Amino acid sequence: MSLRENAMDWAVRRTGRTPRATRSLVFALGCLAVLALGVVLTRMVDNPYVFFAGYVVIQYVALATGWNVLGGYAGYINFGPTAFYGVGVYMAAFLVKAMGAPLPVAIAAAGVAGALLGLAMGWMTLRVQGVYFAIATIALVVMAETVIHNIDYLGGASGLALMPPQAPAWAGGQPQFMLMVMLAIAVAFVALARWIEISAMGRGLRALKASEIAAECAGVPTFRLKLIACAVSGAMLAIAGAPYVYYASFIEPGTAFSLALSLNAIAMPLIGGKRSWVGPVIGALLLATVQQAASVTISSELNILVVGVVLILFVAVAPDGIVGIVEKLTRRRGA
Amino acid sequence: MPAVWRTAHGQGAPIRIGTTICKTGALSSTKSTLTGLELWRDDVNKAGGLLGRPVELVTYDDQSAVAQIPSLYSKLVDIDKVDVLISPYGAGLSAPLMPFVKQRDLFMIGMFALAGNDVTRHDKFFHSAPWGPESKTNWARGFFDVAKKNGCSRIAVLSADVEFAKTAAGGAEQIAGEYGMTVVYKQSYPPATNDFSSILRNIKAQTPDAVFVCSYPPDSTALVRGLSEVGIGDSVKLFGGAMVGTQYASLLGSLGPALNGIVSFALYAPEPTMANSEMTAFLSRYEKVAAEQGLDPLGFYIPPFAYVAGQLIAAAVTGAGSLDKAAMAKVLHETEVKTIAGPAKFNDIGDWTERRVLMVQFRDIKGKDVAQFRQAGRQVILDPPSLRSGDLVAPLTKARSS
Repeated sequence: MSLRENAMDWAVRRTGRTPRATRSLVFALGCLAVLALGVVLTRMVDNPYVFFAGYVVIQYVALATGWNVLGGYAGYINFGPTAFYGVGVYMAAFLVKAMGAPLPVAIAAAGVAGALLGLAMGWMTLRVQGVYFAIATIALVVMAETVIHNIDYLGGASGLALMPPQAPAWAGGQPQFMLMVMLAIAVAFVALARWIEISAMGRGLRALKASEIAAECAGVPTFRLKLIACAVSGAMLAIAGAPYVYYASFIEPGTAFSLALSLNAIAMPLIGGKRSWVGPVIGALLLATVQQAASVTISSELNILVVGVVLILFVAVAPDGIVGIVEKLTRRRGA
Repeated sequence: MPAVWRTAHGQGAPIRIGTTICKTGALSSTKSTLTGLELWRDDVNKAGGLLGRPVELVTYDDQSAVAQIPSLYSKLVDIDKVDVLISPYGAGLSAPLMPFVKQRDLFMIGMFALAGNDVTRHDKFFHSAPWGPESKTNWARGFFDVAKKNGCSRIAVLSADVEFAKTAAGGAEQIAGEYGMTVVYKQSYPPATNDFSSILRNIKAQTPDAVFVCSYPPDSTALVRGLSEVGIGDSVKLFGGAMVGTQYASLLGSLGPALNGIVSFALYAPEPTMANSEMTAFLSRYEKVAAEQGLDPLGFYIPPFAYVAGQLIAAAVTGAGSLDKAAMAKVLHETEVKTIAGPAKFNDIGDWTERRVLMVQFRDIKGKDVAQFRQAGRQVILDPPSLRSGDLVAPLTKARSS
């Protein structure tokens, strides 16, 4: 019996729970600990810069996790995550401008809009695979940006300045509140991604990623699963965009549909590892923190170069990312 | 609070001025802002600093990205503890900053943020560029003043589908209506457009008297080239107005004689009516730095106004005798400041009270040598009347063939 099996056996005997239930319990406690850490941070740290920078880093955790549902689990590389993110940004902006909507309403509406857009994109494009699907997702960004350029109510190409509702008094300030909101979103996304990974849906997605024909022959409803993955991923990416207008008070298409944002959202799961929920989290925390630090220390040209070089290195040397490397090392040690 | 408990600002402690520069990204051509600021800093420090303290610049690269602005400015204010802020370049990047600046009641000089304070109306914000009041509508009014003076009544408006161009086109339509002109053609085009032959033929068919163009550098280039190839017809007396790119040496050098006859905006032109020894001295110093660093060799558009931003800060600090933000703002609201770009006086939201956006017509451009643009007579100032150095040569076909 291997070390790992021994540990599992011991855990079952001691707690009366299956290893999977134990892991879920540990995961849930971990999520609560992260949220509690966020609350403590907003109470103990005075410097708003920490919250502004933290918001950006955690937003990338949410984006990378959202992207990974389709790109990582199903293997359908979506080159246009900012189409969904931008739709979330603009849906929230529309609601704030039209009716001064509170943040939960904006988040919910962005989620619905993102899911519908994901469904529409999936229905139209999922019959093509590989590079053809990727091209279709790029086209989606161009289309969404062009539409926004031509809606004067949303500021068109000029952008839109908005004064979003003030943060509740208990939050301690707008930057603190935004950090907490984004942290809650990111934790919820990671929990959802983990659930997908260990559920029948995750197994189905992995099967179709390995071989779509074989999965279909085995009775996996591939098209339906892909559609669901598109909708869930789209909703997650759009929700990640919804708080942006509350964070920046100004939106414009160049930022909402930014290529750099897309590149990061794709690079982070690839670097962290796209087979498991933990990969995008590690990739995002690592890369976004380095980027935030680099933007105030070294030049930004180097910042972009770092992403490019690290991405190429991982694709060439460690296609399964950091998680893949760790698993390989653990397996070697176990053997 | 007793002075003993306050944060100590030793006599030698520098006055810190914080800003972000577009060193990378779409607006990286504006990075000469830093050179203008550095030249001002060196001058001030050579003269003993401000309030007997040296001046230090704290800058970060904002990557021309709106998303970078909140965190970088928070760092400048909360961690670097800068005393004075200068906005990032342009209205788009400044917009997310304005609520923060107002909320924290900070003193800030705006860098090319057209109408940047019109919504927030912060009383401690001042423009370094002479856009004038109501700039969203009025900054290109000079084009229509020239058009009116030359009897133009039929106007075509062509604009790129991007921020600044759409704003300018909106203002143009409003002014055309005010002057009783008819907009006979109105068209916007996607930013990536590089073939304007069909658009120019369409405009030609409408026989306008003036064509107001709001374009960005790549499309400005394509339009000027298209104009040489397709032409625009004999009816057009005035062509241009808001063509971004014609302020930079790279585009002037690449287009050369193809620019003849075109009218565009500028903030400085080396014409006798703008002769100013301080500006000339600044530009000659800038040129040396630009040659070393590979920046815009002319530097007419941005660097002088970065220097002006510094001059405004110096006037505010020395006038107030302290770094008290309210006192500094009061000085700029109440006093006329002498700058290398002329005297600056401000209204209640920090606009220059007098619009000093030039409408210049390119003339006698021969070859592609950039140095010729330093000579008088190449960018003849048509408007404002106080700085006019010549009259419009029209129609466009004549101006282009001369």
